[in-house]
Amino acid sequence: MSAMSKGMRILLLLGRERSYGIAALMLATVLTVTLVSPQFLSLGNIKDLLVQAAPVAMIACGVMMVVLTGEIDISVGSMMGLLAAVLGVLSSPSHFGWPVPVACVAVVFLGAGLGALNGVLVAFGRVPSIIVTLGMLTLLKGVTEIVLGGEWVTDLPDPLRVLGTGAVAGVPISVVTAGVVIVITGAVLNLTAFGRRVYAVGSNQEAARYAGIPVRAIKLLTFLWTGVLVGLAVLVSAPQLSVIDSGFGHGAELVVVTCVVVGGVAISGGVGTLSGVVTASVLMTMISTVLIFLKLGEDATYWSRAIQGFFILAAVLLDHVVRQTEASSAGGAV
Amino acid sequence: MILFALIVGLLGIARSLEPLFVQAHVQQELSTHIWEIAILSVPMAMIIITAGIDLSIGGMMALCAITVGMSYQSGLSPWLGSLLGVAVATLCGALNGLVVTRVRVHPLIVTLATMAAFRGAAEGLSKAKPVSSFPDSFAWLGQGIVFGLPVAAWVFLVLFLACLGFLSFSPWGKQCYAIGHNEVASRFAGVRVDRVLLWLYTFSGFCAGIAAVLFVARRNTAKADIGMGIELLVITAVVIGGVSIFGGRGHLIGTTLGVLLIHETREFVSWRWSRDELNFVVIGSLLIISVLLHRWFTPSSGRESSDH
Repeated sequence: MSAMSKGMRILLLLGRERSYGIAALMLATVLTVTLVSPQFLSLGNIKDLLVQAAPVAMIACGVMMVVLTGEIDISVGSMMGLLAAVLGVLSSPSHFGWPVPVACVAVVFLGAGLGALNGVLVAFGRVPSIIVTLGMLTLLKGVTEIVLGGEWVTDLPDPLRVLGTGAVAGVPISVVTAGVVIVITGAVLNLTAFGRRVYAVGSNQEAARYAGIPVRAIKLLTFLWTGVLVGLAVLVSAPQLSVIDSGFGHGAELVVVTCVVVGGVAISGGVGTLSGVVTASVLMTMISTVLIFLKLGEDATYWSRAIQGFFILAAVLLDHVVRQTEASSAGGAV
Repeated sequence: MILFALIVGLLGIARSLEPLFVQAHVQQELSTHIWEIAILSVPMAMIIITAGIDLSIGGMMALCAITVGMSYQSGLSPWLGSLLGVAVATLCGALNGLVVTRVRVHPLIVTLATMAAFRGAAEGLSKAKPVSSFPDSFAWLGQGIVFGLPVAAWVFLVLFLACLGFLSFSPWGKQCYAIGHNEVASRFAGVRVDRVLLWLYTFSGFCAGIAAVLFVARRNTAKADIGMGIELLVITAVVIGGVSIFGGRGHLIGTTLGVLLIHETREFVSWRWSRDELNFVVIGSLLIISVLLHRWFTPSSGRESSDH
């Protein structure tokens, strides 16, 4: 197939190396938007963008591992809501008034516990992960409302607010945390035996089992790790708001799954890179803010959900085209 | 049978705790909510039998409702608008079917994407504003009673009987089960898998359209947030009703009992504790526990490994 057009070859490259494709898309977006409103590239806006992308990227690191093992976790949105509510209720002086560090540790442990519950039900209860996490998505939403009792937590203590608004050497705490999480996840996935086992379980579960890999334990750990990351993401993002209500994290599961899928992780497991997922997280966040900068008016914001949906579809279709073209250029072998 | 016992048991407990709840006219009053879920559960059961899933039903309902509302605003009769709306929802279903069969992506991802796309398009088109005050003749569709039953109930009965016959007696019905058991084997056995799936997802869109029209007529308002989260209720009902989430097993009678059980549970929880958020907890746990029990009481097989 030497006659393959140059355009096709570029498309193939962008599709195969997902982070290149996303970077190209991001560049195109940035150029377009900057032409309309130059302040898009201002330092302040870039900082805002990264702050918004940070919790998404952190949670995507966890969900990505879950998807790599061939499972899925769509409970993260409600989990964020519950953990934020618990964080607010535990730390606010008018409720429990716990010291901030204690409340933070409690929230991360609760996240780990919820993740472990998902994992136990999936790995040892043999319930499909889509059912477990769909059920959890609903269940935890109800628990959140019960915890908050229809009220808002408005008096977050100052030390907690610092977690959301503070900075280390000019870089916001949430971005620093996300950076650390990304580095750790990358190291675990690429340098450790555990990381290779995650890929192995997703590529062929039976083969992995016969090769002596503890499939269930690996799955349990990926869910648990996701819970921990949701906890960390809540710690650095919820205190950015002055008020915590039951709507926090609503719909986040969709954003995160979008990032994972657009980032090139195969939903059947075993395939995908962290760089793709992280760049996709930034791109998806960028797209939701772009609508404002394009000066399309207030009406445009109603379309953000539609755009997310179409992005997943586009990613899925691109995958299909790439696979088909590769198959036909390899002599029609499927 | 276990389901039937559960429903009777629930009603028995309900009777002892809240005698008012089980009276006929109260039940009739409460039953207005059940029909849309019942209508949606029929195609959902069939899709899950083929080892698929459709998460986008709420999104398709929203698009249909918006079509009805906007065409009414632009001067069309609500009946014509409803036809348009159902057509739009059917097309959405066909789109799901096309992507699932042509691109061969897991329906979970396809319909998760279209769930957002459809709902988002509905929000974008309507700017999240409601359309209301339809004429009374249209409201009859949602509130009218024919031979002692609401219009929606008759719609459900027709759908249910048609699909029951289809699944049990037609060769296509058998093929649905075959696909759910082993798609590859079915393909080799000459089943036109793609065609069956395309029709099923299209049918799911059609039913979502019908449910949306009935809902709009009942509430007398069309808004982009209708059917939010309804996919969870429907899937829970279908799974509790004995359809295996791995496909190949289950039937519509069980599904209908599942719908009834979910409905009575929700209404009872709302009635007794008058707290809707408790229902989230109850339905979520019911879904997980029912599948967990199902898995414990069925011998393990190799099939689980290939699904998620």
